[in-house]
Amino acid sequence: MTTSASSPQQQAIRISNVCKSYGNYPVLKGIEAEVIRGEVVVICGPSGSGKSTLIRTVNRLEEINSGAITFDGQNIHAPMRTKELNLLRSRIGFVFQNFNLFPHLSVVENVSISPIRVKGVAPGIARDKALKLLDRVGLADKAGAYPGQLSGGQQQRVAIARALAMEPPVMLFDEPTSALDPEMVGEVLTVMKGLAAEGMTMLCVTHEMGFARDVADRVWFIDAGEILEMAPPEEFFKHPRHPRAQRFLADLRH
Amino acid sequence: MIGDIITIINDYWLLLLIGQYPNGPLGGLANTLILSALSIALAFPVSILFALARLSKWPLLRWPVTVLVYVTRGVPLLMLILWSYFLVPLLTGADVPSFVTMLTTLVIYQGAFLSEVVRAGIVALGEGQMDAARALGHSYLSAMRFIILPQALYNMIPSMISTFVATIKDTTLGYVINVPDLTFAASQVNNQLLTQPFEVFLILAVVYYAICWSLTYLANAVERRISRRRSGPASDPASLSLAQAKIVSEQL
Repeated sequence: MTTSASSPQQQAIRISNVCKSYGNYPVLKGIEAEVIRGEVVVICGPSGSGKSTLIRTVNRLEEINSGAITFDGQNIHAPMRTKELNLLRSRIGFVFQNFNLFPHLSVVENVSISPIRVKGVAPGIARDKALKLLDRVGLADKAGAYPGQLSGGQQQRVAIARALAMEPPVMLFDEPTSALDPEMVGEVLTVMKGLAAEGMTMLCVTHEMGFARDVADRVWFIDAGEILEMAPPEEFFKHPRHPRAQRFLADLRH
Repeated sequence: MIGDIITIINDYWLLLLIGQYPNGPLGGLANTLILSALSIALAFPVSILFALARLSKWPLLRWPVTVLVYVTRGVPLLMLILWSYFLVPLLTGADVPSFVTMLTTLVIYQGAFLSEVVRAGIVALGEGQMDAARALGHSYLSAMRFIILPQALYNMIPSMISTFVATIKDTTLGYVINVPDLTFAASQVNNQLLTQPFEVFLILAVVYYAICWSLTYLANAVERRISRRRSGPASDPASLSLAQAKIVSEQL
C-alpha cells in the first residue's frame, strides 16, 4: 500500500501490526494503517468484522495482544502510568454509538465537566466554551436540559460537543448514527461534515456510505479482522478490488 | 390505657429521652439517635470503599473484602455483637466501652450490606458511562467521583434507605451488651413498673416507628426533588409540544 510514504510529522495515528483476540478467537489480525493529519477515514465492513474493536483500541478502551498504536509520537499501548494514558486519551475525542451522555448532568455540564475536572479549566471559562460548542452543534437552546429530554440526534450532537470540549486534534466515531431514527441521521452527519470541512482529523466507523462518498479521503474496508482494501471513496465504490468488498457493496445496494 | 401511657411518659420522659445523664452516661432516645446517626454516617463511606474494593481488579484488595462481606452477611448481627463484646477485650486487653463496640460492629455489618447495594448500583450502570469518562481522560477515581457514583447512589436510594432504617432498628440489639439506648431505658422503666409491659413497649415501638418513618419520608422527598430537577421543569415548551405531537402521531 502506498500510504507508508507519509512522514511521521504528517501522521496523526499509526497502527502497526495490531493483533487482538478474545480467547482463541482472533478479532484483529495484524492491522497496518495510518491516518494522516487532517484526513477523514471511514472504516466500513460487515458486522463482526472487528471495526468497532479496532477503533476502540486507538484510545485503548480495548487492550491489544501485540503491535503498537502511535498517537502524537507515543505508543498508546506501551506500558505507562495511568496519568500519562489519561492525558493521551483526553487528546483523542471519542463518539459512541449509544451517545453515553451523563444523564445526571445537564447538557452544558456534560460538555464542561471534563475540561473542569480533567484539565483544570476554571468553571466559568469551561461553561462559556461549552455554550459556544453547543451553539456550533445547533443546541444552544438546550444547554439547561437533561439528556433524557433530548432526541437521539440531539444527544449525539451533545456527545460530539462534549468530545470537542477537550480540544482533541483527532476525533474517533464509533457508528455515531447507528442508534438513531432515520430522520435524525442527517443532523449528526451535518455536524460531522462541518468538522471535516474545518480540517479535523477523523476516523469514523459508519455504515453511511453517502457520508463516506462525500467526506472521506479514504475508505478502509475491513473483514474478519483484516483491512482488505484502502482506497479513496470514488475508487472504492466504483471499482472495489477485493471480492469480499465487492460482495459487501452489492449487499448494501439491495 | 391511653391514660396509663400518658402517666408513664409524664413520669419517665427524661429517662426515656436522655437516660441517666447527667448523673450517668447519656442514654435513652438521645443515645439511640446518636448511635444511629453515627452508624449510618460511617457505614455509608465504608460501604463505598467496600464496593470499590469488591470491584477492584487487584485480588489483594478484592479478596479480603469479599470474604469479609460474605462472612458478615452470613452471620447473625447478635453473634457479631457478642463476639466483639467478649473477644476484643480478650484479644487486645483493651477495655472498650460498649457504645464503641456496638458502633464498630454496626458500621462493619451495615457497611457490608450497603456495599452490595452500592456495588449493584455501579454494575447496573453498564460499561458505557465508564467508557465515556475514560475516553474523556478522567482517571478511575475521577470517573467514580463525578460520573459513576452520583448516578449509582441516586438509583439506589430506595435500597439504601431500607438499609439505613434497618440500621436504626438494629441499634436496639445494643441492649444485650448494655448500651444505654432507648430500648435500655424502656426496659428500665418496665422493670420499675413491672405491671405495664404492653404500654411501655408500645411507647418504644411508636418512637422507633416515628424515627424510621421520618427518615423514609425525608429520603423520598430528596429523591423526588432530584428526579424533578432531572426531568426538568417545562423549561422548553417547544420540546414539550413536540413530545405531545409525537404521542398523538403514535396513537394515530
